[in-house]
Amino acid sequence: MENLIVVLEKIITTGVAETLKVTVVALFFGVLIGLLACLGRMSKHFIPRAIATSYIEIIRGTPTLVQALFFYFGINGLLVSATGGDVRMTPLVAGMIVCSLNSGAYVAEIFRAGIQSVDKGQMEAARSLGMPQKLAMKEIILPQAVRTILPSLGNEFIVLVKETSILSVIGVTEITRVGQIQASINYKVFSTYLGVAIVYFVLTFTLSRLVNYLERRMAVSD
Amino acid sequence: MIKVNNLYKSFGKLEVLKGINEVIEKNEVVCVIGPSGSGKSTFLRCLNLLEEPTDGDIIIDGVKINDPAQDINEIRKEMGMVFQSFNLFPHKTTLENITLAPMKVNKLSQEDAEKIGRELLERVGLSDKADVYPRALSGGQKQRVAIARALAMQPKIMLFDEPTSALDPEMVGEVLEVMRELAHQGMTMVIVTHEMGFAREVANRVLFMDGGNIVEQGTPSELFDNPQNERTQSFLSKVL
Repeated sequence: MENLIVVLEKIITTGVAETLKVTVVALFFGVLIGLLACLGRMSKHFIPRAIATSYIEIIRGTPTLVQALFFYFGINGLLVSATGGDVRMTPLVAGMIVCSLNSGAYVAEIFRAGIQSVDKGQMEAARSLGMPQKLAMKEIILPQAVRTILPSLGNEFIVLVKETSILSVIGVTEITRVGQIQASINYKVFSTYLGVAIVYFVLTFTLSRLVNYLERRMAVSD
Repeated sequence: MIKVNNLYKSFGKLEVLKGINEVIEKNEVVCVIGPSGSGKSTFLRCLNLLEEPTDGDIIIDGVKINDPAQDINEIRKEMGMVFQSFNLFPHKTTLENITLAPMKVNKLSQEDAEKIGRELLERVGLSDKADVYPRALSGGQKQRVAIARALAMQPKIMLFDEPTSALDPEMVGEVLEVMRELAHQGMTMVIVTHEMGFAREVANRVLFMDGGNIVEQGTPSELFDNPQNERTQSFLSKVL
């Protein structure tokens, strides 16, 4: 119990900030990349569709752990040897990029499902009024799609918080990494990892409440 | 005003329109009747290119609209469309449904757009519903809003795709009343409908379609009282 409090304090003062930094950055860029990839995937032109589809399939088809290792040790390693060490990514930056790219692929598929769930007649009505495709998408389709995708998007955000724990393998001192270091110092693995789990749960539970609140807000304005 | 030359449309291997030729004059009200699957709706949807013709020309005011170089949005501004399933925007109020396109497409100020919107709502008898969302409207009210929304772009032509088919019977009248009014004001209208009484009363000309062709056409009295074609006779004997 005594150790649990020590560990919690350590995690809260160091690891949580790193986890949140990665999460917030990946959340923002994940949605941005996801929207672009989704539009690319639904494009009627071959090239954007091919790029977006390959990106989504590759990310979904490989483990996040492997992506993190490949990106930090593989790509960053190449970068360092090519520039003689002048350009290198810190683990944190590499972690942010990996998580953003990873989340983007899943968000793209969530968006696609949401957009396709909007009745076809909505686009037809908008186009029949002379609205160009993009305007109709922005004014008519996306606002309706957001409502249906909010639950899955919330779920993706929670997954994202948990996925950042993988970055412990590339040396980002986020929550899990702080826990590992603590355990290797104090040898009290039970209470240490219990502390780690508690902190993740508090974060994801808060997020899940927040998403619920947003859903209810949107339902009211309907 | 609308000239259709040799219009073909296929969906995959299924040929829905088989060489339609038709001229619709300004201020004309044309009703299109015929059995399900005869291509009526597809024909109508080709007129504003919601369906891309496989072959043939659609010429509106001398401009071939199914030309890839043609900006279709410019043409659609001039053609309103009313759908069987209303297709109101559920996340916008009644008034916003009407003002959206005038503001975003025609760049009207919010004030001007709302003025037009309120006038139109009054015209379709729904002044008191400006600030409600579509889900709070009955089917007939929704369709009247949809008509107002299309009229807000001040179109030269109005297309109606079975506007009363999704309505409860007691609501058909209120929608037809709005359309009747529009016809009397000289709007050029093409109406796909199953309301034979309405077609007889309002149309200048009735087209009977079957199997992807216009089989017979004429004034309502010619077509309804004295149909020449066997298929027209057989169809009318079932519906009248």
